[in-house]
Amino acid sequence: MSDSVGDSAETADAHPLEWDEPEDNRKPPEDRTAVSNRVEKVDDEKLVTGNARYTADFVHNFRSVGRVSVVRSEIPHGRVLDIDRSTAESIDGVWAVLTPDSDIIPESLYTSAGQSYPEPSPWDMHVLHEHVRYVGDPVCAVVAVDQPTADRAAETIEVSYEQYEHVVDPELAFSSDAPQLFGPDEVDNEIVGHDYDRNRMAHIEGELGSVSSAFERDDCVVHETTWETIRQSHANVEKHTALAYTDEDDRHVLITSTQVPHHTRRQLAHLFDIPIRDIRVKKPRVGGGFGGKQAMVIEPIALACSLAVDRPVLYEASRREEFGAMRSRHPMRVRARSAVTEDGAIEALELYALSNTGAYGSHGMTVAGNVGSKPLPLYSKVPNVRFEADIVHTNTPQTGAMRGYGAPQGTLALEGHLDVVARDLGVDPIAFRQDHYMEVGDLDEIAGMMGGEGAERRIRSCGLDECIERGKAAIGWDELEQPDDPDCHRGVGMALSAQGTGVAGDELGGAQLMLNEDGSFHLHVGGVDIGTGADTAFVQIAAETLGCSPETIIIKSSDTDVTPFDYGAYASSTTYISGMAVRKAAAGVRERLFEWASRMLDVPIGSLVAVDDRVRCETTGESVTFEEIGYESMYGEDDREHIMATGSHSTDESPPPFAAQFADVTVDSTTGEFTVNQLVVAVDCGVAINPGMAEGQIEGANHMSYELAVSDGITVDADGAATVESFDEYGLPSATETPPIEAILVETHEPTGPFGAKSVAEVPTNTVPPALSNAIADAVGVRISSMPITPATIRDKLTE
Amino acid sequence: MHVELTINDSPRELFVDESESLATALRRAGHTEVLCGCDGGTCGVSKVFVDDEVRMACGMDALEADGTAVRTVQALGRQDALHPIQQAFIDHHAVQCGFCIPGMIIEAAALLEENPDPSPETVRAAIDDTLCRCTGYQKPVQAILDAAERLRTPPVADDGVIANE
Repeated sequence: MSDSVGDSAETADAHPLEWDEPEDNRKPPEDRTAVSNRVEKVDDEKLVTGNARYTADFVHNFRSVGRVSVVRSEIPHGRVLDIDRSTAESIDGVWAVLTPDSDIIPESLYTSAGQSYPEPSPWDMHVLHEHVRYVGDPVCAVVAVDQPTADRAAETIEVSYEQYEHVVDPELAFSSDAPQLFGPDEVDNEIVGHDYDRNRMAHIEGELGSVSSAFERDDCVVHETTWETIRQSHANVEKHTALAYTDEDDRHVLITSTQVPHHTRRQLAHLFDIPIRDIRVKKPRVGGGFGGKQAMVIEPIALACSLAVDRPVLYEASRREEFGAMRSRHPMRVRARSAVTEDGAIEALELYALSNTGAYGSHGMTVAGNVGSKPLPLYSKVPNVRFEADIVHTNTPQTGAMRGYGAPQGTLALEGHLDVVARDLGVDPIAFRQDHYMEVGDLDEIAGMMGGEGAERRIRSCGLDECIERGKAAIGWDELEQPDDPDCHRGVGMALSAQGTGVAGDELGGAQLMLNEDGSFHLHVGGVDIGTGADTAFVQIAAETLGCSPETIIIKSSDTDVTPFDYGAYASSTTYISGMAVRKAAAGVRERLFEWASRMLDVPIGSLVAVDDRVRCETTGESVTFEEIGYESMYGEDDREHIMATGSHSTDESPPPFAAQFADVTVDSTTGEFTVNQLVVAVDCGVAINPGMAEGQIEGANHMSYELAVSDGITVDADGAATVESFDEYGLPSATETPPIEAILVETHEPTGPFGAKSVAEVPTNTVPPALSNAIADAVGVRISSMPITPATIRDKLTE
Repeated sequence: MHVELTINDSPRELFVDESESLATALRRAGHTEVLCGCDGGTCGVSKVFVDDEVRMACGMDALEADGTAVRTVQALGRQDALHPIQQAFIDHHAVQCGFCIPGMIIEAAALLEENPDPSPETVRAAIDDTLCRCTGYQKPVQAILDAAERLRTPPVADDGVIANE
């Protein structure tokens, strides 16, 4: 088998296998005091007692807070001709009615995508739209004394439209005959490959080797399969909520349920032409994000409303708005092709994705890019690899970032395809994969094939073999017992996945750590805990570095006035990037503690270690507590110092975590009814900073992935309008509908991460659709390639 | 209109709108531990006890609560004196964003009062109408089963005397 890892001397130099890792970053399990421990989540006590405060809870800080109701387009495509607001304005308690031409509504375009600057998403939105592009586009906002008044007033507003032709199907939209969503002056798009005459916002492609020559080879069999995924809702249980007010210093404050406080600050500043320094974004507890809040979805409306009425204003989306007018996972059709020799050597792999980005293009190009750049690198031994994607607009609800970020769609196509090929060739689907997948030492060029120079990465940790071995054992891969009922057939399926850990070369996190005189610490981080446990992981990383108990560290995160900068909670970056910033800050503080201890004990710095909340001299055995250092450094006779340090981290590295998913299913071949007996997913996330929290991330991700396999998602009607308005109509699997999920942590050591950690929370989102499709093929011999997998789709295939 | 009720054993008088939900009224009265993730009566997050019956406060008219005793998750335990169910949720890392947790814990308390030794299937059925997006229910179910065991076996104090017995 040929090897694609043709390291040129130049790239090998840029990505050395040996990483210059601080000595104390790699600790055997028995030496770890805080990391790898199931430390109690730092916010749990307030969460289980209801004392935690989410955004909407902060209305109690104010005497009166205006409430917002948004009037949204009832047509799929058209232009607003007139908005009759006279009745609304005459209602007692209505404070303001904002329309697209209101002075306070910016005329400029923006993107809602919460990305780094300049955002790799087109600027194609207005805060309120005259040109509406889907049923749900915001047209008008009412601010009133309370929610019932705002809602009642909004209902009286009559909008008249000039209606345009609309298009719902992405294949139909991708044509010069289709109704066009964007005119030339309606979008500012710096992305290559846009072609708005055909509703295409971006086109991307990349290739290593030559796929087409492999497809033409006589000794290769070419397989082609096509896969479809649903429009999934983030279903964050806390709805998008933002509270906007102007404080006593005449600065604009947003308390908001966001994953990206600093991006939101910058993007609001640009949009409203306010200096960045005059905006403060505070993130309280957040009730789940999953990518849906990696976007400035409702903050512009909340800020505009607050500015218009010069009072605090709360905008809390309704659940109906959540399903129809917030964000969703891009539905895609992905074609997979391969060229494989008769003895099972994969000579070429190709994925082509047609992504439906809906009415606007936030995250459209980058999500589609990850359809290829996340799953394909798994098979680094394949010499010819190609990826291409078209991202097209339709008059349907908006899409955006969602956990997995394109990888679930690509993983379904690739891992489903490989199973089809393995079955066709009669080879073991696991061995088939093992012959081609990456291993430690590989230079992964596939991840970078669309990302320009420098996006290759060296693989320095890989636990795939162990993930497979332990996953197989847990699911009982080799000892499956068939049910007694002759109509019922049991099968197992598997799928592999790789993700990234942060965006290579496009991340930044900051942290500051300060000593108190009692030996405790204040830790300020920009990193954003949206319910993931990130705050706890940061505390554990600091405690491990300092040799102190986690309880002595008080953490404050994500207030743009108070905490350091951070890109935010996305791309599986938080523990790795922001966590490394914390590690650096803690190492800086430890250095100062050693300096003081050396003076106080009159011993050389080189003899000191930090352990058990004290600095100890290994030569003399003497020690001084952090408290003693605290008092001495703050109140001593001379050379007083507030011991503190900052850390900042950015890197070109993005090591992949790995997952091996297994599904055990029983299918009734007469009805298509199926039961998922068990899901097992083994994950290599490097060193799990907190195994309990890491398991929770894996189980939750697998639950979301299971939904992606079996739920209808947000369905739309002929007008492209969401037909799902409440949880009753959405297929979020309940406790009894969710199969048992076993999460297995496979420890490796990633030298570029804090104490060996890489990411965990996205990779298990990618794997249930292909594993379940493969398990059903194993059980009853039919292939479901269009999600969702339902009894009806299985029955239809069985009777074909 | 006003309703008189007790909230966590304190007598209260609330002024409410005719169509207002109990969740809205409780939140306005400062009980922000009562959360809601839906547009009324579907997510299960807002569960409270109303006269010992579990109700979704967002799916119930505030007027209907007149004369009742309402208990929220705060009646079960405080941060310095956690209820065994709350402690079990913490110990099992069953809490992520925490938004559904007050409703989940109320439902668990009702279940364990009625059935001190439930099966995993019974626990899943009990919390079936409380939606959680974070956990996949795996750890909440484990926490509730463990809490059941803790409640069946009262803690032994240092002096060997069984507490509260």
